[in-house]
Amino acid sequence: MLGMLFSILIFPGLLFVSVFGLSVEYIDRKIYARLQNRLGPPWFQPVADLIKLLAKEDIIPKAANQNMFKLAPLFALTAVVTAFLYIPLWNKESLFSFNGDIIVVLYLLTIPTLAFFIGGWYSTSLYARIGSVRSLTQLFAYEVPLFMGILSSALLAGSWSLKEIINFYAGHNWFWFFNLLGFAITLVSFLGKLEKTPFDIPEAETEVVAGSFTEYSGRLFAFLRLTLDVEMVVGSALLAAVFLPFGFSLPPVFAFVLFMIKILFIVSLISLLRTIVARLRMDQMIDFCWKFMVPLAFLQILINLIIKGIILR
Amino acid sequence: MNKEESIKEDLLKKFSYLDGTFNIVRARRISITVGLENFNEVFVYIAKQMHFGHLCTITGLDEGERLGFIYHLADESGCVINLKTSVSKDNPVIKTVTGYFPGAEIYERELVDLFGAKVEGLSEGNRYPLTDDWPLEQFPLRKDWKGRENA
Amino acid sequence: MHNSEEFKIPFGPQHPALKEPESFSVALKGEKIMGVDIRLGYNHRGIEKAAEERTYIQDIYLIERVCGICSHAHATCFIQAVEEIANLVVPKRALYIRTLIAELERVHSHLLWLGVAGHEIGFDTLLMYSWRDREVVMDILALLTGNRVNYGMNTIGGVRRDIDPEQIQQTLKAVDILEERTKYYIEVATQETTIIKRLSGVGVVSYDDALRLDAVGPTARASGVKRDIRADDPYAAYAEISFDVITDDHCDVYGRTVVRVKELMESYKIIRQVLKNLPEGPIAVRAPRMIPAGEALSRYEAPRGEDVHYVKANGTDKPERVKIRAPTLANIQAVKHMLKDRYLADMPIVIAAIDPCFSCTDRLVSLSHIDSRDKKTITWPELHQFSIEWHKQQGIDFTQLNKQLEERLKKC
Repeated sequence: MLGMLFSILIFPGLLFVSVFGLSVEYIDRKIYARLQNRLGPPWFQPVADLIKLLAKEDIIPKAANQNMFKLAPLFALTAVVTAFLYIPLWNKESLFSFNGDIIVVLYLLTIPTLAFFIGGWYSTSLYARIGSVRSLTQLFAYEVPLFMGILSSALLAGSWSLKEIINFYAGHNWFWFFNLLGFAITLVSFLGKLEKTPFDIPEAETEVVAGSFTEYSGRLFAFLRLTLDVEMVVGSALLAAVFLPFGFSLPPVFAFVLFMIKILFIVSLISLLRTIVARLRMDQMIDFCWKFMVPLAFLQILINLIIKGIILR
Repeated sequence: MNKEESIKEDLLKKFSYLDGTFNIVRARRISITVGLENFNEVFVYIAKQMHFGHLCTITGLDEGERLGFIYHLADESGCVINLKTSVSKDNPVIKTVTGYFPGAEIYERELVDLFGAKVEGLSEGNRYPLTDDWPLEQFPLRKDWKGRENA
Repeated sequence: MHNSEEFKIPFGPQHPALKEPESFSVALKGEKIMGVDIRLGYNHRGIEKAAEERTYIQDIYLIERVCGICSHAHATCFIQAVEEIANLVVPKRALYIRTLIAELERVHSHLLWLGVAGHEIGFDTLLMYSWRDREVVMDILALLTGNRVNYGMNTIGGVRRDIDPEQIQQTLKAVDILEERTKYYIEVATQETTIIKRLSGVGVVSYDDALRLDAVGPTARASGVKRDIRADDPYAAYAEISFDVITDDHCDVYGRTVVRVKELMESYKIIRQVLKNLPEGPIAVRAPRMIPAGEALSRYEAPRGEDVHYVKANGTDKPERVKIRAPTLANIQAVKHMLKDRYLADMPIVIAAIDPCFSCTDRLVSLSHIDSRDKKTITWPELHQFSIEWHKQQGIDFTQLNKQLEERLKKC
């Protein structure tokens, strides 16, 4: 019981994932800044931001639905932290591994978006409402290629459990190369989930100020920002586990370090992507996802089905 | 004959009453004074027939008893005609030119706010540039309006 | 929200996309803009009235502060009108130096715009890059004039500072660097897919509409209207310099971007010619303190478009009337037209695409403060008192606080 509490609250749960999330935010911001020819923040900046926000007053609009407004950020943070517990970090099996955990992780990752929607909607600010409607509209566009991308890898492994997937790829070395297209699709769709350029439409500051977050301040806003950081870690970890499933047979410490490196690699890719593109418009984003990404995802699934049918028979 | 002279000749042929009101200031600058009663036909002729298709701006002037208005019309070759007219301060009504130049709307609002001109035919809209609660009958660019006394 | 109901969102007076206070009230249907209600005037500072109460020399510095970006444009435009009234023959060297500063200002303004445009479409990398390169031209301006903005270079009858061969060398070097960078931006702007996607087809103003709505500057030129005061109505040294008027027939924001980046190349061309052909001689003639009665209209191609100043002199040392028409005012009607039936997401870039400068647009009078309820003017002291009373009602009483402080001090 104590052990379980430790893993939920300290490692690899809340505390670890929060600290790791903040470091990832720092790395993301630093890379983004260096690529833009800026100096970038010092290493403690995300922590300092968090502490500052936590110390500030929560201002809740009079017209807002108090409970919904307060609950949404906590709900979002809880969901992403929980999702992290299902991802294997240093061996093939995560703490709470079961058959179908990949689906759970994906669903838990959807919750923040819904929470942002609810928080934005019930804050009753016009900007927040437009932002939250955009979040939701966007969800329907990127979720499909995201799921299909991850599905393709699982399909090849023939399992809905992360443990089985990793086992399969450990047995079939270099098979994960076949999934590179799926990896690209999932990574790009994942930018939509993280609401980063080119898909930062819901919080495009020049249009809707801060989108769903417009009315948030103080502690609640700190939780929202932490949620986004942790979401980036969890998403990158999921991608790393599904698409870069090697090295889990190493001794736990090495496997863990390797896994962290993989996560950082994916985070760097995200930073790079958001440096080199402009924000799309909502209609263009939906077109892009449905007309371009979904067919590509289908192609990946087709490839995997063929491999499964011919090579693995 | 240079361009400015030919513009003058052309206009005189059409509107003989403009005789004596011409002033060719320099190359590409002509100023013409016209009474309010004839203003519209001269304005339309210059804008449409002579292709002075760009209204640079409308300047308002406080001329003591009267309010003066200068319509700066330019053509593609860079020539500008300053078409001047004036109206008594007692009843400062001029007609809108937004029918010919939609872009003139904001210039006319300026005249309304700052000089107290009444522009006939100007559509309803926001004030420019003064605030909505600026008192009526205070027109800052008139000479008798002194900032400090009114403040 | 996605029903047929329209709703209005305020876009300003304070909004992240606007660098200056103006209000656009947008009627939205879903993400589509049904109509825009523009309210200008928040930056109204009473410059035209103030200019009438100051001498010509003071006015130069006042008018330079109409706008922080195109300060040289306004100052030069005003001075040209005054010089025309006073019949001054400005030395050629002065005209060339004015032209040089004008083009450097255009370079800095266009680079600034490029960055802002990048920011509006969420492409912050472009913002960071172009603003970094803008520092090069800012440094040169500081080297030549002593200031990064509001150069204070002009005076009636000429310019106030000469430039020496050393400065010419440095400027040429900087222009080489900038040209290199600009070529890169042209490449980025014309090839990067997301930029093209966000810019093309947005904020369309056809050739006829541009003419009809009296658009000026790059906004007009991007719709194929060949309207450039530098070529049409040459001032300063432009009559002796060869350059092309850049036009484009895309008619949209993309076209405006292309026009601006290509204009940068023309500016470098002009700067090089000016520096090569810089005539020797004095840099100013003596101007009388009293300007004889007369009037003049001066036009100037500011980075944002045609700037118009009208000056009327009455024989004293103060002007009778100064009228300023900044380029943004001429383009604001076009914005209304551009936004119709577009998406909310296009709004920032469409507004930014005319390179709006609202502090230029609003000038004129505002010396008094008004109590809105009974339409009577109140004085500054009254307003001061009013604010103290108002805060007292809210429970913040500074008089009480002051007393407490005094008592505490006494105790010490």
